Amino acid sequence: MLIVSAIVSGLSLGAMYGLIALGYHVTYAVSNTVNFSQGSSVMLGAVLCYTLWITFGWPVTLAVVVALFLCALFGLVVERFLVRPFAARGSNAWLMATVAGGIILDNAVMFSFGKEPRSLPSVLAQKPVSLFGAGVYPLQLAIPVVGIAVALGLHVLLNRTRAGKRLLAVVQNPSAARLMGIDVKRAIALSFAASAVLAGLAGMLIAPLLSVSSDMGLMFGIKAFAVAILGGIGSASGIMLAGFLYGLAEALITALLGSSYTQILVFSAVIAALALMPNGLFGRAAVKKV
Amino acid sequence: MVRSLLKPRFALSRRAAVLGLGAAVLLGGAPAFAQETIKVGLVAALSGQSAKSGEAITRGLEVAIDEINAAGGVLGKKVELIRRDDESNPAKGVVAARELVQKEKVAAFFGGIDTPVSLAIVPFANQAKVPFISVWAAGTGITRNGAAENYVFRVSAVDELVDEAMIDYAVKTYKTAKPGLMLINNPWGESNEKGLKAASAAKGLTLAGAEKFDNADVDMVPQLTRLKEAGADTLFLIANVQPAAQVVKSLDRMGWNVPVVSHWGPAGGRFTELGGPSAEKVHMVQTYTFSGNLSKKGQTVLAALKTKYPQVTTLADVTPAVGIANAYDAMHLLALAIAKAGTTEGPALRQAFYEIGSYEGLIKSYAKPFSPTNQDALSKDDYIFTHFKGAEIVPVN
Amino acid sequence: MARFVLPLSILLGAAALCAFCLSAESYTLFVIALVALTVIVGVGLNILLGLAGQVSLGHVGFYAIGAYVSGILILQGWNFFAALPVAMLVAGLVGALLALPALRVSGPYLAMVTIAFAFIVEHGLIEWKAVTGGANGLMGIMPPSIGGHAFAEREMALLSVVLAALSLLGFWMLSGARLGRAMRAVRDSEVAAQSVGLNPVGLKTLAFALSAALAGLAGAVFAPLLMFISPGSFPFSQSILFLFAVVLGGAGTVLGPVIGALVVAGLPELLSDLAEYRLLIFGALLLAVLWIAPEGIVGLLARLKRTDPRPARNRATDLAAFLRPAAAPPLTVDGIGISFGGVKAASGVSFTASPGAITAVIGPNGAGKTTVLNMIGGFYRPDSGTIRLGAGANLAGAPAYKVARAGIARTYQTTQLFGTLSVLENIRIAGADAATAEALLAFVGYGGPVAARADDLPHVDRRLVEIARALATRPRVLLLDEPAAGLMRADKDALGILLRRIAEMGIAVILVEHDMTMVMGISDHVVVLDAGRPIASGTPAAIRENPLVIAAYLGGTQTRARGRTTPWDGSRDAVLSALRLTAGYGAAPVLEDVALEVRPGELVALLGANGAGKSTAMKAVSGLLRPVSGDIVLKDARISALPAHRIARMGLALVPEGRQVFPELSVRDNILLGSSARSDTPDTATLERELAAQFARFPRLKERAASRAGLLSGGEQQMLALARGLMAKPDILLLDEPSLGLAPAIINEVFDVLAELREEGVTILLVDQMAALALTVADRAYVLESGRVVKAGTARDLSGDAALEAAYLGARPAAQ
Repeated sequence: MLIVSAIVSGLSLGAMYGLIALGYHVTYAVSNTVNFSQGSSVMLGAVLCYTLWITFGWPVTLAVVVALFLCALFGLVVERFLVRPFAARGSNAWLMATVAGGIILDNAVMFSFGKEPRSLPSVLAQKPVSLFGAGVYPLQLAIPVVGIAVALGLHVLLNRTRAGKRLLAVVQNPSAARLMGIDVKRAIALSFAASAVLAGLAGMLIAPLLSVSSDMGLMFGIKAFAVAILGGIGSASGIMLAGFLYGLAEALITALLGSSYTQILVFSAVIAALALMPNGLFGRAAVKKV
Repeated sequence: MVRSLLKPRFALSRRAAVLGLGAAVLLGGAPAFAQETIKVGLVAALSGQSAKSGEAITRGLEVAIDEINAAGGVLGKKVELIRRDDESNPAKGVVAARELVQKEKVAAFFGGIDTPVSLAIVPFANQAKVPFISVWAAGTGITRNGAAENYVFRVSAVDELVDEAMIDYAVKTYKTAKPGLMLINNPWGESNEKGLKAASAAKGLTLAGAEKFDNADVDMVPQLTRLKEAGADTLFLIANVQPAAQVVKSLDRMGWNVPVVSHWGPAGGRFTELGGPSAEKVHMVQTYTFSGNLSKKGQTVLAALKTKYPQVTTLADVTPAVGIANAYDAMHLLALAIAKAGTTEGPALRQAFYEIGSYEGLIKSYAKPFSPTNQDALSKDDYIFTHFKGAEIVPVN
Repeated sequence: MARFVLPLSILLGAAALCAFCLSAESYTLFVIALVALTVIVGVGLNILLGLAGQVSLGHVGFYAIGAYVSGILILQGWNFFAALPVAMLVAGLVGALLALPALRVSGPYLAMVTIAFAFIVEHGLIEWKAVTGGANGLMGIMPPSIGGHAFAEREMALLSVVLAALSLLGFWMLSGARLGRAMRAVRDSEVAAQSVGLNPVGLKTLAFALSAALAGLAGAVFAPLLMFISPGSFPFSQSILFLFAVVLGGAGTVLGPVIGALVVAGLPELLSDLAEYRLLIFGALLLAVLWIAPEGIVGLLARLKRTDPRPARNRATDLAAFLRPAAAPPLTVDGIGISFGGVKAASGVSFTASPGAITAVIGPNGAGKTTVLNMIGGFYRPDSGTIRLGAGANLAGAPAYKVARAGIARTYQTTQLFGTLSVLENIRIAGADAATAEALLAFVGYGGPVAARADDLPHVDRRLVEIARALATRPRVLLLDEPAAGLMRADKDALGILLRRIAEMGIAVILVEHDMTMVMGISDHVVVLDAGRPIASGTPAAIRENPLVIAAYLGGTQTRARGRTTPWDGSRDAVLSALRLTAGYGAAPVLEDVALEVRPGELVALLGANGAGKSTAMKAVSGLLRPVSGDIVLKDARISALPAHRIARMGLALVPEGRQVFPELSVRDNILLGSSARSDTPDTATLERELAAQFARFPRLKERAASRAGLLSGGEQQMLALARGLMAKPDILLLDEPSLGLAPAIINEVFDVLAELREEGVTILLVDQMAALALTVADRAYVLESGRVVKAGTARDLSGDAALEAAYLGARPAAQ
């Protein structure tokens, strides 16, 4: 019962980490940059969903759609103002700039949304169901399913649609993609929008299990980054797998050894894994050229 | 841990220094010589997870200051509040305290919700000989800091006393014989673990166990399962609202219906919204609530809050009341001390705290609230047990 | 004396600040101490980031370690001044330890390792309660006292300022010393650093340790300054602020951390009245600074300073004595080979390079010349064979820096200078003293200022400085990878003379070069590679006449003719034309004043040896290379300023050099992607029909329609790229080196397809180094040499023209 509960929690957390980490993957693959305010996008998704649905009383589907649209907009703004100006001149100051962007968004939300955590209701997180004798919320079971579905959906979108294949072309060979008439700059902007949408979606999904607040995103952002790195930032399937591994490791360590050592053990494992496999657990090495 | 700490060493010059050009740019100008107002400070979390607590304290202080100023101020001067954000970071808190004392020359200053921050400020306050009044952080060592000349006062609960009160209450209400502890993994949890263990030992109770969890944990089932299997008949909960809500949800999922007696953490937010209907079953320690039959003072303060802060409309907007009420009473007590001392010099002010006679406060009627052996204005008997009813906190029965 | 301005101003500034401290108020003192401590951490981080080029997002961990070590020791009754070095040492050791995993990774991976480190330290401090006091931290850490005089804020501020000044001076000394230069060299170009004998791993580990030790030092003072430390005092966000302080001030500059610390630790004081809005404003300010002063404030000011214009002079340094090797053993390469992913890039390569002689390794593009150099230089580990200097140990597979230390120096195809170092520093890093370095610069003919930043040099000077740097290691063997690429004729001639002079010093020179005039003019011995295998070796004259070599270069004469059945007779209005087209990378133009035009239905070839500018022309026309000057007109529209994707949509399709297929996508998807550029949006049925037409043309692609493009053979990939280009239904198809690296049979297949397309009326501009081959299909051709059109005419007129062969293999000696 204890283990079942931990595994279910680990899987739902892992799915979240995976989704957010996919966001890092998408932008890195297309542009070799990552949005370090990804955690803020997680928060933004949850906060907007709450505000539109609960505060403004919009229908829930409309609220979700509009919230995700606004997340995409945030991603575009990040790319245009916090990444492109620096990446264009070959500087890596986008790292600091996106961090600054995250600080600004978190604090701006704190003033507009309020300082106390709110609860995003969900019919799936009210009555527990029994699974092998352990009580779990249906949402906890639904999240990994949704997570995998979204990851698969993304995979299908990329590999089965024309627009997706164009994006893959940019990932694999940007200059050849330009020769196909593909606007690489737009593709990069798009990838940041997609990245923020993935994070926003993750925020909405996890919020009913936790709560909605202006600072909910930070740790998610950092852990998801660890997941992206562990999975090998260039490998989408590796990242989802790493997400589940990370979530399970966290939950099981907490369940079996107590929560005191969770972070120490998990982060040590991250360092050890990278020391042994510098390209992540599922990443591939590139041939160096002189 | 806190031993005979600090002999005053830093002779503080109260005169304004001649600031060099560079430092003037850096620090934003030299302080004024003449003070037209009496400044009081606040070092609290104004941003981040605990920002709400800083807001509550601010409101309590401001309402009291408005009353004091409307009555002509203290020593013929208006009282002015200067706030600094500690970001819940002890180092930041010390820097902020130094700035308030050394640059802004506050007569005294208040502390926020975080025990580690207040503990970090304590040695400095004693050294600087400026009264530091805790209005929320309940860590026992804040006031019982072992300093020969103790400048730290408190109008709030004290962990050690809260722990005793909780055990008493549980034994009385639930006939508790084998309690289990659910503790947040931080200094506050640590301090209460000690207190609860001591208090249950004193009552001859055996513990089913002590389990810890983190702020961001979503699943407390493993910890609770261990306590259940060890035969716990009551849970003592030490956590802020978010993890406390997760404990309630985990209990729900397990289908374990067990009495929960809690420190005041859950009162800091929308516990029932976050934890679901079962959150109403949790009984919590409070020093004050605006619900129920309000005293005249209570009505006045509530009205003042509603006037001054338009966002306050329902009782749910004045939870947690402890922050507001403690701050309100503390500010009035400070004003009385300043008036009694006739000066804002620290040592005289400290003596004046001991000489405060009686004050009809929001929480209770204070009579000689402070003495050199007890710098805490509230005692075990002043705590009330409450629970959430909807969004409001109401006394148990 | 100018070089002492900086340290003197640091000393004076520190002295003035100390004097100010004597009369300052306690809070001011406290803030000064905090800023000074931030300066110390900043200097440490500057060693790591500014000198060694490594990012750390976990420096607060070292700061915390320093603070805890000093705090714990002081509480144990230690003297603060004894605890200080211990704290530094512990932090430094942990830094060196962290460097082990950290240096195996880079970029975001490195960022993650350091982030994880910071979190481990934070949680470790919380959990190791017995020693650290857990989350409650340690209280009552008393400041030190000397001779009964207890330190108060004033003394702590003075101490912090003095330590900060010392660390700044230390940084100044380090960055000017050989060690600091070596770190910067590793940052600028790890590859080149190894080739001058530097060990990047050792240097970066040292940088990590020094950096951590300084953070530890600051932490050690922080503990008694606050008298209280707890894990909460060292939040993760502090790491970001430290990093920001360095970036803001200007990474690598001496005074940068001072400016950065003033902003990061001082600015919040200015903003303290804004309480809860503080972080919001701080974030906005941070962004504003990043936008306005991306190089950092000090960095920005430094760029404004004028460079000392003094050129290099030889002040009586006997270079011959410096360079002439004590022993002059030959370099013997015996049967070396290497494969990448199953493909043999080189095999069975053997030759001996004698001291005092120039040995040239030549071959058409993709022959494996650079691969051979990389094996000799230690960047690739050969699968087989041996490399020996005289009777010495086998060097095959030894790391690059060891090869360099053994006496083998090299230069690179793209020059690998240490970009942020001065020209003189670039030479000195390789081991020469200042006088010798200048003498070497004078010797290679570098006429610019010795103080110039290497990144700012024009192309020809970069080549010369790189050669001088290689010479500074006093090599016995000098490897040169296409040193003449991108140079003007006059510069090439001067370079040739220089190489001869170097050889005459007794050095074995190994030259990989495309410029045949130069190779034939200066080499003693020539080794010819084709498709990774040696096909000939001998004297230049013998090689020049070797039919195998001529065939390898020009595509041989056995290729079948593919003349038109009916001669071309189309419109005279060009589909594509270029006028006065000049383009290049950075300073040196690769293409100068080129004019060409392609008319509807024509197949025009652009010929010339490697490095003549053919590919650059293709990139300039297709929009991949911008900006260019001059006019390019496609169907009456000027496209010289348009980006590649816009030009592609206007009807120009380039089949790029090296095929550039999308390796992870299927063959089918690759072909379909070609239609992305079309202005009409064809429906699925149309696309399928056109796809079927491509499959009919390339039956081999049909068989492999579902497999990943990356798995195809080179020839199949070329066909795929061609099919992909054709799917765009372009008004003009550009082909860049379609025969490159393909077997003769496959080449014939590809060119048969080109002839077919020509007959179908597709307009084509073809670049191929196999001139004879290209002329079998072309209607007209232009011959490029050193970036200029030297000849134009019909294919019939040009084939067999001596000028054409000369453009490839150099002029025949008889013709000179």
